[in-house]
Amino acid sequence: MDVPSHYIQSYCTIRDRSIALNGTTWLKMDSSTTLADFLKSAYRQLDIDYPKFHKMDGLCKAIFIATELMTRDSGPYPSDTALIFSNRSSSYLSDNKHALGIFNTENATASPATFVYTLPNIALGEISIRHRLHSENVFFIFDRYSPEFLVPYTQAALDDKKLANAISGWTEISGHTCDLLLYYIGKSGSVPHTVAQLKRIYNEHE
Amino acid sequence: MKTDVFIAGDCIISPLGMGSKLNFEQLLTGETAIAPVDDATLADHRIHAARIADHQWIGKIRNASGYTRLETLFILAIQQLIDAHSIPVDRRTLVLLSTTKGNVSLLHNPEAQFPENRIYLAEMAHAIQHYFGFANAPITISNACISGALALSVARQLLQYSDTYDQALVVGGDEISKFIVSGFEAFQALSDGRCRPFDRDRNGLNLGEAIAAAYVTKKATDDAVRIKAAASFNDANHISGPSRTGEGLYRSIREAMQLAGEPMLDFISAHGTATVYNDEMEAIALHRAGLSDTPLHSLKAYYGHTLGASGLLETILGIHSLRANRLIPSLGFQHTGTSKPLNLITQPTERPLGTFLKTASGFGGCNIAMIFEKV
Repeated sequence: MDVPSHYIQSYCTIRDRSIALNGTTWLKMDSSTTLADFLKSAYRQLDIDYPKFHKMDGLCKAIFIATELMTRDSGPYPSDTALIFSNRSSSYLSDNKHALGIFNTENATASPATFVYTLPNIALGEISIRHRLHSENVFFIFDRYSPEFLVPYTQAALDDKKLANAISGWTEISGHTCDLLLYYIGKSGSVPHTVAQLKRIYNEHE
Repeated sequence: MKTDVFIAGDCIISPLGMGSKLNFEQLLTGETAIAPVDDATLADHRIHAARIADHQWIGKIRNASGYTRLETLFILAIQQLIDAHSIPVDRRTLVLLSTTKGNVSLLHNPEAQFPENRIYLAEMAHAIQHYFGFANAPITISNACISGALALSVARQLLQYSDTYDQALVVGGDEISKFIVSGFEAFQALSDGRCRPFDRDRNGLNLGEAIAAAYVTKKATDDAVRIKAAASFNDANHISGPSRTGEGLYRSIREAMQLAGEPMLDFISAHGTATVYNDEMEAIALHRAGLSDTPLHSLKAYYGHTLGASGLLETILGIHSLRANRLIPSLGFQHTGTSKPLNLITQPTERPLGTFLKTASGFGGCNIAMIFEKV
């Protein structure tokens, strides 16, 4: 077998009302908690002052929290860390809000503050601002988490630009459910960045 | 493993017609697709936009009632490429779709005629996969207004550095909907007439519709164009406003130029949406990169901003420009309107052309620069 060129430095999962860093639970709340309240509690538990967080939609908030936790574990992200994300529902939470506003028969409205979040890659912009990342961003849409595509693509993108680091994964947020796995990739370590390894990590909390 | 990657075929469906050669010829005669649109399903007042007419797509595919308008247009473009180049639908063919919003017009729309699950981009990809029987589920890229160019860049990376695929079909498209019109209006980003990229009196963009498709392969044909380099950087500055220093675009251009071996550029196909801030940002980035004197155009006054198609559409027209050795004028420009002047193309000049730079920028602070050269 080939020697893997990149390794997983840290990973974060958010499943429904539970957040884990490297497999260890960091926050768990009752399943009746709303997604908004759950993400707000996670933000409070981070104990940071970042007012922009409150303007974000649910997708951006969940991604923000996961990348915040991983950097606490693995140290600051280098500014050329590539961002290679995916999900199924794109920016559904904000799409839904914008569409409800414009088709409201009583009082049709469109808000720029909502519309700007109707693109999934806005979340990549948000974390680029937060962590000062000037790097390549790609947002893919799949039917389900697909390491079979993401791993070879991430490897190709890293090889292409001779990069050491990337944050990649699956960030599915729709309605009330949350299914997120993000991982931070670097040049050394003990957990190889492979399809098999990521399948194991993705399924370990099922 | 590093092999060269080429664009060996292309197709455009736009309000100016079907086929990329026809579209290119229309541009040289100064045709524009932008027209006044009075349609209550889009806005309660007149807008200026470029829309694909019903006769261009209705009844043109098998089982037509099973596919949305946008899916039908994607299918028509893909069919053209498959027929022209005998592209197999097996595991060795990657299909990359680029769209910002797909079938979002169905969402909460009382007039929608398809189930709402069709708003999911993966459902649209399934429909297209099913139509052709592709072995691989198409992969969708939704990365704001750089999606089209980014999809080309992703195809290049996969063909160059992974042995999973032999060729790729890269197809970009978006349609105008109330969802999109209302959003751009909320940003006060729409022009009150035909847009004027880089002009002093520009006051916003026009929305447009197009489908653009490219056949990307490792085999060089005689009229193929090489994807010489691509680079993409985020501004890390603001999620909706362009960077004042053009940082991400500047870095993208610099890296692409360096990777390409600092070539002499014959022209630049800019993003040029004709909003005040976007065009100013581009002028600053190009000035910083030392490219203020390179002949440049924006094609937005011909097609409007075609969102997920734009980067691909404008690249394909740039390729036709290379092949024909004819520069496409930047429609709508009269007076310098950026703090750093640019060299806008005003006449369809004939001269030997070999290399061009394509740029794009989008919400979320994303930017991309790509360099293409004749084989």
